[in-house]
Amino acid sequence: MHLDYQLNEARDTDWSSVTEEDLRYRVALGNLILHVGDKDFSASWGWIPLVDLAASFAEIIHKLESGSSSETFEFTESDAWIRFEKKDAKVLVSASYGEGIGETPLHAVSEAVKSFRERLRSELVRRYPEVGNNPTFKKLFGTGHGRG
Amino acid sequence: MSFRRLIIVLAGFGLLLTAGPSVAQTGVEQVTLTRWALQHIMARHWPDSTATGAGKFQAGITEDSLRDMINEAVRAGRARRNTHGRPGVIYEYDFQRQIGTTIDGGPATRLRVVVNNRNEVITAFPF
Repeated sequence: MHLDYQLNEARDTDWSSVTEEDLRYRVALGNLILHVGDKDFSASWGWIPLVDLAASFAEIIHKLESGSSSETFEFTESDAWIRFEKKDAKVLVSASYGEGIGETPLHAVSEAVKSFRERLRSELVRRYPEVGNNPTFKKLFGTGHGRG
Repeated sequence: MSFRRLIIVLAGFGLLLTAGPSVAQTGVEQVTLTRWALQHIMARHWPDSTATGAGKFQAGITEDSLRDMINEAVRAGRARRNTHGRPGVIYEYDFQRQIGTTIDGGPATRLRVVVNNRNEVITAFPF
């Protein structure tokens, strides 16, 4: 599984005071790159809030690891979705805007999401050092629910 | 108390607290469409928006008609909690007529409105 992002340039953002609503809907926008096996579920729409995506994916993985059999990520500005269905130790991934179903081990999804979060967090802090002290930013990239 | 009843009570409470020209008001519920939210919606979902992967409102939409549709969706639509820890509530309502286009360019008859915990619209789009 390959999970990555392309981050747009952000102008006129006060990163020290951005709220959860800002981070979930308005800032750190970009594209999703998602390949599962030979399936491509990438979304190059430019407006995807990447911090929200990282936090939501982490929540989804936590639920799958905690016993949930299926979780669906809903994009913020459309009815498009990505579905994760657990089947034994594997996860079947499908998307409303892509064809086919990709299959990958649950631990591979978990590691990909963890890596995605850390790379995104590091890049945002490097680009905008003031966000590193923002408590909401810390919360969304934190270790709540035992996630890391 | 059901979740929907709780939402109605909270929204009704908001009726007492907010006023002004940007307030979308209905009989028992109201939400506020701020200038920021309107700009957010226009940038992604207005007929002339170039944003891809996002539903678009039909040509001829105005701020007033958007506010009317949001009102109707909040008053009569299905409410559910926002997903995966996002703040607020999602309202969805089927107008039974075309209000825009889907991300595939097909006709959209439904409106999704995301409202925060202060009864302010975060975003709204056809699907």
